[in-house]
Amino acid sequence: MPFFGLILGTISGLGKLSRKKIFRYPCIVYIDFIRGTPLLVQILLFYYGISGLYSNATGNSLQIDPILAGIIVCSINSGAYIAEIVRGGIQSIDKGQMEAARSLGMNERLAMREIILPQAFRRIIPPLGNEFIALLKDSSLLAVIGVHELLKSGQLYISRTFAAFPVYIAVALMYLLMTIVISRIVAYSERRLGVSDRN
Amino acid sequence: MIEIRDLYKRFGELEVLKGISVDIKENEVVCVIGPSGSGKSTFLRCINLLEKPSSGEIIIDGEKITDKKININKIREEAGMVFQHFNLFPHKTTLQNVSMAPIKVRKLSKEEAEKRAHNLLTKVGLEDKANVYPSALSGGQKQRVAIARALAMHPKVMLFDEPTSALDPEMVGEVLAVMKDLAQAGMTMVVVTHEMGFAKEVGDRVLFMDDGVIVEQGTPEDIFSNARHERTKLFLSKIL
Repeated sequence: MPFFGLILGTISGLGKLSRKKIFRYPCIVYIDFIRGTPLLVQILLFYYGISGLYSNATGNSLQIDPILAGIIVCSINSGAYIAEIVRGGIQSIDKGQMEAARSLGMNERLAMREIILPQAFRRIIPPLGNEFIALLKDSSLLAVIGVHELLKSGQLYISRTFAAFPVYIAVALMYLLMTIVISRIVAYSERRLGVSDRN
Repeated sequence: MIEIRDLYKRFGELEVLKGISVDIKENEVVCVIGPSGSGKSTFLRCINLLEKPSSGEIIIDGEKITDKKININKIREEAGMVFQHFNLFPHKTTLQNVSMAPIKVRKLSKEEAEKRAHNLLTKVGLEDKANVYPSALSGGQKQRVAIARALAMHPKVMLFDEPTSALDPEMVGEVLAVMKDLAQAGMTMVVVTHEMGFAKEVGDRVLFMDDGVIVEQGTPEDIFSNARHERTKLFLSKIL
């Protein structure tokens, strides 16, 4: 999910900065729609909405794998947030970098790939880490479409044992453990990549 | 070698260049002086199309670069640019800064490009800094790397945009020394500068710009000792 989100986010972040309207407008619509609606609604819309449309249109029922649906929706969702992070990162790079690259005969694409994006990515590691943590926690919403993620598994366990408090505490701690791991990874990569970039 | 005819540049309502015409010969060192806001930098940036001229034409080596059909990237390969704020790539080592464009744009092999980069770094006195990142260099060293980086593309002309203005005073000398070597080696150079000493010593010709036009031009002697225009005299009296 973070991987697809990052790819989607980079593409639409670049798209939003494009001078060409055919690239820019679809990206703006995508970003605004996703950021302007709750993830829970997006999950339900995608999972039940699409299969409903399909059965209305064809008369057959469509069974989408909830895990696949969950991965798709969460990737699309975090892609929109990452797009704005990427855009901010690119715009934070000094204009002189692009000018220097262009003055050496690099075309815009090459300059973006070799000069601007590598620097922008270093700079956006902290907000990206935030986004990945949010994504991990938001995955608990997938319980509503029956994905057996952490929260759902906990609830199933409670329904058998009626031990609500200890199980929810355990669920919370497991989320905490995972987010701590993510933030450590983020801090580590920040340190490693930041070495060359201290000016 | 470079012919500039009736060059105009507007930024919205603001007219920055109001009809510049000048020829620059091969091997010539032209220094452009003038008060800030006079359009010196814009003029320089037009020569490699970092700014797009509003009207007029620029011809480099017989090629009309203001033509719409021209490949801008090809032009920029031929005109090296050195910036006031160096604009080195902070995520690349000194050697990579210098060798990168030859590899990616000129399609040189890595070995060949790095060999040349080492030679250029030696030329600017920084061969021992090949593997450090720009953040570990002083301002003067950064600017020398930036000069090497531009030279690595074998440009026909070098454009300098106030190359020493962002430097501490004690570092100005080392950068000017590199530029002087370059001039003596026969490089065609256009230098926007506030270093009147450099203009006097190294410049073949000095252009004085004010308010978007070339007010006066001539040999350094003409300009610094026998300026004819009041505006030139006023400017020189303030800075000398």
